[in-house]
Amino acid sequence: MLYDLTIVKDHYREIAPISDFKVSRRSLLASTAFLALATATAVGPTGSWAAAGVSAEQRLALIRMARDIYPHDDFLPDEPYVEVVDSILKEAESNDDTRKLVMDGLSDLEARAQKIYGSSFAAIADPNKREGVLRSIELTGFFQKFKGGLLMGLYNNKSLYPKFGYDGSSWEQGGFMDSFDKIGWL
Amino acid sequence: MAAKFDLNDDSVVVIIGSGAGGGTVANELAQRGVKSVILEAGKTLSLEDIENDEWAMFSKISWLDKRQSAGSWHGAVNHPGLPAWIVKGLGGSTVHWAGVSIRYQEHEFKMKTTSGGVAGANLLDWPITLDELKPWYDKAELKMGTTGDVTGMPHLPWSADFKVLAEGARRIGYSKITAGPMSINSQDRDGRPACQQIGFCMQGCKIGAKWSTLYTELPRAVETGNCEIRTNCMVLQVEHDKSGKVTGVVYADADGKKQRQKARVVCVAGNSIESPRLLLNSESSMFPNGLANSSGQVGRNYMTHMTAGVYGVMPGEVHMNRGTAVAGIVRDEAHYDDSRGFAGGYTLEKLALGLGFLSAFLVPGPTGWGREVSSGLENYKYMSGVWICGEDMPQEQNRIALHATEKDQYGLPVPVVHKTDHPNDTNMRNHAYAQMAKIYHSLGAKKIYNLPAYPASHNMGTNRMSAKPEDGVVNKWGQSHDIKNLFVSDGSQFTTSASPNPTLTIVALAIRQADYLATQMKKGAI
Repeated sequence: MLYDLTIVKDHYREIAPISDFKVSRRSLLASTAFLALATATAVGPTGSWAAAGVSAEQRLALIRMARDIYPHDDFLPDEPYVEVVDSILKEAESNDDTRKLVMDGLSDLEARAQKIYGSSFAAIADPNKREGVLRSIELTGFFQKFKGGLLMGLYNNKSLYPKFGYDGSSWEQGGFMDSFDKIGWL
Repeated sequence: MAAKFDLNDDSVVVIIGSGAGGGTVANELAQRGVKSVILEAGKTLSLEDIENDEWAMFSKISWLDKRQSAGSWHGAVNHPGLPAWIVKGLGGSTVHWAGVSIRYQEHEFKMKTTSGGVAGANLLDWPITLDELKPWYDKAELKMGTTGDVTGMPHLPWSADFKVLAEGARRIGYSKITAGPMSINSQDRDGRPACQQIGFCMQGCKIGAKWSTLYTELPRAVETGNCEIRTNCMVLQVEHDKSGKVTGVVYADADGKKQRQKARVVCVAGNSIESPRLLLNSESSMFPNGLANSSGQVGRNYMTHMTAGVYGVMPGEVHMNRGTAVAGIVRDEAHYDDSRGFAGGYTLEKLALGLGFLSAFLVPGPTGWGREVSSGLENYKYMSGVWICGEDMPQEQNRIALHATEKDQYGLPVPVVHKTDHPNDTNMRNHAYAQMAKIYHSLGAKKIYNLPAYPASHNMGTNRMSAKPEDGVVNKWGQSHDIKNLFVSDGSQFTTSASPNPTLTIVALAIRQADYLATQMKKGAI
């Protein structure tokens, strides 16, 4: 399935109740520490994702992929990425199509990583190499599912607006009458 | 006060759509004592429904019924189900529009004569001139509260985002740089407040400072007691009698039940995809190619404007989201000069996108991800942006066609929207990209993103106006060449797209059409 605004709209609805489930503090990995932890077996308490039949390691691979889709290195913590991944895994718990999409997509991703680099996806150290692997699956429904979720989870996420310097809704404050014409450098 | 007309009342004008065309025709008729029923496919909206949230409003007001993108434009891949970005709701796309209200230039009514013809383009001169339309433009500007000489209302104040564009434009030698004309109040006027620089114009103006039929024409039409609005009513077919005159319409009401409203006159104003689609779907044994289609031009010559976006990361903070979305226009390339490598001209209109939309459009489509996108978004507050809007060549193969098998929720064939750029469009877009690069580089931009066309909000030409019946669908009044009591009241009657944003011209034509229609009805000629 190809990306489309109407698909984004659906994701918007799907991921709207993100706050319905809690992300374990311990699973909020600093991106720099990510690879070290990716090999560890115990990554926080079992979450709803486990019920979807996803192992901790598989979940970490998905989080790695999420960070590679919209990389923000030190600019953003893992938390918003984890929320998007877990929301899709939560959906996979009760939706067979989603579960199949995720599990098949993930094994395809890992197979490609093994074939090209002889390594699991998350263990490929070079981000350009990981991007290369992801480019080869970018048109799949699996990839687009996560891309669409991230687009909303990162950039339509009011709690992250300040990080990006975006103000969001203004009418409640009477608009930007005090600031709209201010520019210091021109 | 609100009128309620019987389904069998065959004295009414049925108006299909409540946007710039339909809403204006309804009010103008109502003020002249002519009774009408507006059938609006979308739901009732009010200022209460409006939020400052791009995707929330996208979900709430967009026309998201099944449609297919086709042709070689990038949207056939990147926006396969969303060829156009228009509204399904009361007020139509006047809820979403940005307010830019530029008049056509004289030569833009005669692009065939001016250019001497362009190979591969189905160019035709309009059957009207700027002189003929001038008084109607005046009326339209007074109605809409367009900033400028006619209303005497000053243009809007310059936002930081516009100052960036204006300064860059000045540095490369441009001089036609103005924060208008915009149909957004710069002062309290006509019962609506002055703009408060809220910054979500295209999600619906929360305070009603921007003109929209939703809170001007429509309530005023209803107040007269001459107009009834029925929302959630999708017209399925226009019907006719043995003489070939239209007799009314069949529509699906809010409960999905089929109803038949009789009519003396039918005005089609469903925007340039739905209007021709309805005429094509209304085929009969008498009109096997669809209503009003003896020319074969119904659905053809679909134009969207030649469009593109350019976003630059500036050396200092801009905060483009603060203030009006589009109040800032540069018109130095809007003239005709084919030595630039293309016929027609274009304008540069500042366009602020919020973080949500910019993330989706900076690099659109399934391949739009990775550091190119994310690093740009990290610089959101340094970004300034422009929308390029230029004349689009009419081409017969760019058209609204009916899908052979796919049906929508009403059981009607899904519209397939074909759009392929003419080389003229490509040359113009490349010229505009190059000019924008000069502008942003002159300001020390750190990075420049060239964006392809968005799903079209300007949709034109699919029921075009022509002097001769064999060249087009309607005459200079928007009246069908084939069927006297069938009118087209929206942008689909545009013969050519010209460079200006279409709403002002749609409204001017609608006022003029209503005047003609009321006179003809009074005379008993229709």
